[in-house]
Amino acid sequence: MDLLQRFVLGEIDAFETLVRQFQGDIYAWTVRIVRDPGTAEDLTAETLWRIYCARHKFRPDGNFGAWARRIATNLALDYLRRARPEQTLDADPAGAPPPDRLVQREMRQKIQQAFRRLPPKLQLAATLALVEEVPYDEIAAALGTSVGAVKVRVFRAIRILRKHLTQVGIKP
Amino acid sequence: MKIDEPNDRQIRDALKQSLPSVNTELRRDLWPEILRREALRRLDTHSLAVPWYDWVLVGLSVAAFLAFPRLVLVFAYHL
Repeated sequence: MDLLQRFVLGEIDAFETLVRQFQGDIYAWTVRIVRDPGTAEDLTAETLWRIYCARHKFRPDGNFGAWARRIATNLALDYLRRARPEQTLDADPAGAPPPDRLVQREMRQKIQQAFRRLPPKLQLAATLALVEEVPYDEIAAALGTSVGAVKVRVFRAIRILRKHLTQVGIKP
Repeated sequence: MKIDEPNDRQIRDALKQSLPSVNTELRRDLWPEILRREALRRLDTHSLAVPWYDWVLVGLSVAAFLAFPRLVLVFAYHL
């Protein structure tokens, strides 16, 4: 019997094979969205668990990778909705930086804050399209929407970002 | 609506500089975590399950109380 058929029937060995095959891909996708390794690991484990719980909804002739990615994207989006806006994205090295680096750091923080203030759906689309340069059709498939809708989200994200950055004195 | 205007590219570059690149390599195997969750789920399901003979006992009791309402008083006395 086919691996996916055995998975749908609830065979744990089949699911283990799928986990080992896809956990890296799911993690790589999730960490590109949430940009925090620990959070991405937790979300990947949750994604795999939800996949297992929802196995009866999967059609064995379907694309398992695409299905898994869509579940991961929804979970990442939920996380972005819950994430605190003041959360910073990277840890600066310890110790007082020199003045020019201080200015750079301040600017980076302002951009990060402006980015965090974006609505989650726009933030997700902007991260994948602008920062990670993922093709629009891949983003659309993961979000379960059209390429046009993704382009609109990215466009709106850019417009809002520019407005926020102008407000804090950064002219991109 | 054009995404690749020069100004948009500036925004993209600013974002790329501000958001650090991430390592996309998974650091640990997540299968043990899935097994742990499955074990917990089974434990929960098992602890919540009521054996069939308990349901039979409840059914018989209810039937007896309906047929002989005074049994309720006897039952209550022995509680």
